[in-house]
Amino acid sequence: MQHSMTYIAVEALVKIALLAFIMMTAAAYLVLLERWVAAWVQDRRGPNRVGVPLTKIKLFGLGQPLADGLKFIFKEEFTPKHVDRWLYTLAPLSILAAALASFAVIPMGSSLPPIHIPALGLETDRIELVEAPSLDVGLVYVFALSSMAVYGVILGGWASNNKYSLLGGLRSSAQLIAYEIPLGLGILGVVLASGSLRLETICTDQATSGVWNIVWQPLGFLVFFVAALAESARLPFDLPECEQELIGGYHTEYAGMRLLLYLVAEFLHMVVAAFLIVILYFGGWHLWGLTGSESDPGWGHALARVAVLSLKTLAVIVLVMLVRWSWPRFRFDQLMTLAWKVMLPLGLVNLVLVAVLYEPELGGRMVAEYGAWTRAALGWGVMLAACAVAALTAPLATDNRPRLDWGVR
Amino acid sequence: MTNLLERLTAWWHAYNVYVALVLVAVGLYLLLPRRRSWGRAAGAVTSVIGMGLLAARSPAFAGFFQQGVFWSLAAVTISAAAATVTFRNPVYCAIWFALALLGTAALFFYQGAQFLGVATVVVYAGAILVTFLFVLMLANPKGQAYYDRISWEAWLAAPAAAVLLGVMTVALARGLPAIDPAVPAGSPDFPVPAVSVARAMSQPRVEEILATDHMAHLGGQLFSRYLLAIEIAGTLLLVALVGAVAIVVHEQRSRATVDAAHPTAGHALTPAALAAGRTQHDSQFAGAGANIHE
Repeated sequence: MQHSMTYIAVEALVKIALLAFIMMTAAAYLVLLERWVAAWVQDRRGPNRVGVPLTKIKLFGLGQPLADGLKFIFKEEFTPKHVDRWLYTLAPLSILAAALASFAVIPMGSSLPPIHIPALGLETDRIELVEAPSLDVGLVYVFALSSMAVYGVILGGWASNNKYSLLGGLRSSAQLIAYEIPLGLGILGVVLASGSLRLETICTDQATSGVWNIVWQPLGFLVFFVAALAESARLPFDLPECEQELIGGYHTEYAGMRLLLYLVAEFLHMVVAAFLIVILYFGGWHLWGLTGSESDPGWGHALARVAVLSLKTLAVIVLVMLVRWSWPRFRFDQLMTLAWKVMLPLGLVNLVLVAVLYEPELGGRMVAEYGAWTRAALGWGVMLAACAVAALTAPLATDNRPRLDWGVR
Repeated sequence: MTNLLERLTAWWHAYNVYVALVLVAVGLYLLLPRRRSWGRAAGAVTSVIGMGLLAARSPAFAGFFQQGVFWSLAAVTISAAAATVTFRNPVYCAIWFALALLGTAALFFYQGAQFLGVATVVVYAGAILVTFLFVLMLANPKGQAYYDRISWEAWLAAPAAAVLLGVMTVALARGLPAIDPAVPAGSPDFPVPAVSVARAMSQPRVEEILATDHMAHLGGQLFSRYLLAIEIAGTLLLVALVGAVAIVVHEQRSRATVDAAHPTAGHALTPAALAAGRTQHDSQFAGAGANIHE
């Protein structure tokens, strides 16, 4: 059905408004979740008091995000005298804008059936659950916006006119640029397998075959997961803001609403990373026997897909939060060694593996003769071998002891 | 009296391009950061008037309200580009340049060239400009060194920019008298002088660009028709990468001989070791840029 320009514009605007609202709320509640997970890991109770305002109902502390937000809003909007006023304000805005914009190509499910409400005069098409369904370069778009996030960090560090902030900004830009390469290599294997850069197509491919990419590309998943952690600056990669060395890193001089923008953007980066991990490697909205794999699902399957995708994403987020309390932070040289000497070669190995498996003369014939399980076996075998080689050739990459090879020549 | 008025009007129709060019050149000259601080507002006004005169000649200007998105994007891009060359603080220049790149990417999107738009952001705004910014911030542009903060050869740069702008405006205004999708290129109603413009406007090409699986089309073109260019560019980047590594290795070797001559310098955190680590990182950034570029 062809619709007018107004219909298209209204649909897009409604999606954008809903998504922005949901994501900002989700970020607030993820802060609460992070504090709960931290408390659980450290054997504490965590925030459990704030409930419905002005009553004594506690609700397990679910009112905490509201209290946190109010606290940030009511703080004094203080701008230190020595900062570069324009860039100081621009930096948190730009990082939040980039984080929110990258949700435009991420599917939140597959699609909803048409809605007819005669009383309201509402009549819609089948609704794609993604803001920009016609964008053919979805993954590169996410990639571009994640590289725009560097601006917020560097500018914040520089505009603060503070040595700690500048150091944090410099570290961060080096880290983000370095880990973009393994991130891209982790994506490439999946793109090569499904022959498209659209996240919807990648999802649908895994749903129709019923085999998630993690089953036979574990190496790609490893590289992508580590790089995604580094790109969203989560522990053990949070060097830009490690408080023991840099006070607060690039947002040392920030307080109140502007700091809140930075923190929300950080959480949104993590959410984007979790969505990408699920969609690229864990089948997106697909779950065997529950979601079906038809291209135009009814209400049952459509809602099941949304729920499955959300729950998978939440599981990845909880995993990332647990990682935070499980590993110590890397040193800067370790960070760089890990990116360039471990992750980059591993990513290349994965790319070559996928290319060989999809070559009709080699991988195609092998799969045809011995069955599809050989693909998975080869994937896991190559991953174990490659990791063993990496561990033997770069054993000092993540070792926190002093580097003996620097002193002893 | 009427005769004089007619002659003036005729003169204006014949020569308003040149008037616009002079206005743009003078305005740009006044805007460029110099040792004096006066005249920047006047320069802004003059160059905007000149650009307006040039823009009025463009046939596409007719559908102003239908193409509101395009014109606002174009305005953002052009003013950001102007700000890039006219601001004094190099960091601000870099930020304006980033905005100009984003505007260009948005224009690409608007024309359906999705990959070009995204690639502009990834390569230029995301990688190259970030490296610029990195250097600019370390170079402390807030120092007293005025030679970093003024533009040199402004009297050459401003006329050159104006002439380039004028040539492109005139060529577009003469070459494309009516951009009408109903009129096919090459027909007598659509006399297009330049071959490339004809090819760019022809129907199959537009369909190819706007096709839904346009990434697949682009990849097919790159790795069949333009394979040689891709291979050459890749080899060039590889050579640059190998060269950077070779320089680093050479430096480290010469340092090692110096350290061997002075055995006390072999401690873990000597400035030499730190510097060696730093050069290594620098070369890695070069590699990062090259890889993304490829």
